[in-house]
Amino acid sequence: MSTVLEQIEQQIARLSTKAVRKNTGTIRAVADGVAKIEGLSDVMYNEMVQFPAGAIGIALNLEEDEVGCVVLGDISTLKEGDEVQTTGRLLSVPVGRALLGRTVDALGNPVDGKGPIAAKENYPVEKIAPGIIVRQSVSQPLFTGIMAIDSMIPIGRGQRELIIGDRGTGKTTIAIDTIINQAKINKVGLASGDPKFRPVYSIYVAVGQKNSNIVRTLVALEAAGALEYTIIVAAPAADNPANQYLAPYSGAAMGEWFMENGMDALIVYDDLSKHAVAYRQISLILKRPSGREAYPGDVFYLHSRLLERAARLEGKGSLTALPIIETLAGDVSAYIPTNVISITDGQIFLETDLFNQGIRPAVSVGLSVSRVGSAAQIKATKQVGGKLKGELAQFRELAAFAQFGSDLDAKTKAQLDRGSRIVELFKQPAFNPIPIELQVAVLFAMQKGFFESVDVKKIVAAAQSLKEFFATRKDALLAEIRNRAALDQDLETKLQAACAEWKGAFTA
Amino acid sequence: MATGNKQIDALARQFLKLSLVEGSVSPEHVTGVLAYVEKHRPPHAAAVLKAYRRLIAAEIARGQAVVEHAGPIDPGVLSAIAATMTTRYRRPVTSIARRNDALLAGLRVRVGDDVYESSVAGQLGALADAV
Ligand SMILES: Nc1ncnc2c1ncn2[C@@H]1O[C@H](COP(=O)(O)OP(=O)(O)OP(=O)(O)O)[C@@H](O)[C@H]1O
Ligand SMILES: [Mg+2]
Repeated sequence: MSTVLEQIEQQIARLSTKAVRKNTGTIRAVADGVAKIEGLSDVMYNEMVQFPAGAIGIALNLEEDEVGCVVLGDISTLKEGDEVQTTGRLLSVPVGRALLGRTVDALGNPVDGKGPIAAKENYPVEKIAPGIIVRQSVSQPLFTGIMAIDSMIPIGRGQRELIIGDRGTGKTTIAIDTIINQAKINKVGLASGDPKFRPVYSIYVAVGQKNSNIVRTLVALEAAGALEYTIIVAAPAADNPANQYLAPYSGAAMGEWFMENGMDALIVYDDLSKHAVAYRQISLILKRPSGREAYPGDVFYLHSRLLERAARLEGKGSLTALPIIETLAGDVSAYIPTNVISITDGQIFLETDLFNQGIRPAVSVGLSVSRVGSAAQIKATKQVGGKLKGELAQFRELAAFAQFGSDLDAKTKAQLDRGSRIVELFKQPAFNPIPIELQVAVLFAMQKGFFESVDVKKIVAAAQSLKEFFATRKDALLAEIRNRAALDQDLETKLQAACAEWKGAFTA
Repeated sequence: MATGNKQIDALARQFLKLSLVEGSVSPEHVTGVLAYVEKHRPPHAAAVLKAYRRLIAAEIARGQAVVEHAGPIDPGVLSAIAATMTTRYRRPVTSIARRNDALLAGLRVRVGDDVYESSVAGQLGALADAV
């Protein structure tokens, strides 16, 4: 008997001393977050490599006798001659519900001091976007809570809508408002117990931002109770360019988990201009040929492969993307803006002039479009706001004319008057999304002329009073609009009566 | 690794090609190359020779299994390793032994930039990474 045992033991011994094969290389140079490595003849493109001190890198340049790797983590521990190993793995990040409410870095490590994250799954950071067959057209709305957007530039689940504008025009605020609005809708929807309700989880990717700005965003989300439905991926300006380059892809992987598991998610990339700059920095250090504005040739692919990962999948969930681009002096024809405009399904264009005039959110109605979202707009909004976009565009044109002469005919005057009221009506403070049913009520009041006798300067106050009136006194009616999503004769009568009641009590 | 200067790299690579006979480095040819450089003095001769040295070193490493071992090693093991590596890489691979007591026990074999690790030190390291 003992010989049998011996035999087995020998076999075990042989197995446990089985040699492990590793492919190695030697660091030749380290500079600016990039290591040049000799050897690594087996490394794959985008493969993770292991540095001695625990840092990891990603192989981005495979050349005849050297490999260019970006280093993630502490580069100061690396020195020439260090041995580097291939891992045979692509970079992946933790995904799942456990990340909700957390702030992580580009590799999915927690940076919020709330302890480790108990994620059960990992997804690769780089993934081929869903193909044509599995995609479904956009048909479910995603409400931003911003009246000007939901009524005129509607966004659907699975859409990619660009937010573009100069510095400090309120780009981030629009994205944060949208995240807050999802949280509000989630709370109402989950409390209602409706089995068909689909919550939207949010991922906010901050690339190249100041830490103070990220904290501001975090505080705003927390104050609005939206953090529990949100993952924040932070690659601040002080982070090395490799992390800034990776963060959007990591965020996309986290969003894909929701999509693949039949849920809906929203991802904000704030912003892709800084992302492109980080990538340019890496490419220049890797000595890749540079093209227009010194960006490398594949900077289009950089963003197209990222944004293509947003989709609505047959039988699964969706991932909606709100990329943000910062322009210089409103120039949308610069390289990165034109690229991203051509990849997305529309853009929300924010104008400095409007912002400075106090028209906030500073959405330029003429230059903003949503190419697929109107299929997802609810009927009620179409009924009360269908013509607004045309009217506003006409108003802007007339307003330009009106500067030249004072003798306008009565019809033009009426149009101008109405236009300026609509502009006032769409003003909305930051971090204050309006539920879609309330938007319908306000636009209904506008359509039926309830604001006509109100002085233009007092429209904002009047609209506020109307919203408060509805929110506090007409709860049932609002719920009815929300559930039916369309206005029939009965609802219109009720709305008319409610507006009249408010008008009677309102004193301007 | 490339020096970044295309002319230097190209020349060094050309010298490497001239130094190979049936896929392995020939000492006579290397001597020939060195004599040529001495005589003709191409621009940046020192840089070219440095690049050339690296290429030759890599080439030699590709054809040589460096067997690191702690404690004594059987010559039979060495020749067995050489034979295994020769079939695996489909090119002649010789083996040389190098004592390394830091391995504790077992072997570490390096061919070019591949490392085969069965040493106790390596296993302990892997264990440390896994926990
Ligand atoms: N609707 C609004 N009403 C009032 N103030 C607003 C509104 N939207 C934005 N702001 C204010 O404008 C400032 C800039 O907003 P925000 O940070 O969103 O702009 P941004 O375009 O993201 O700026 P940056 O280019 O610095 O990223 C903030 O102080 C914000 O509070
Ligand atoms: Mg911003």
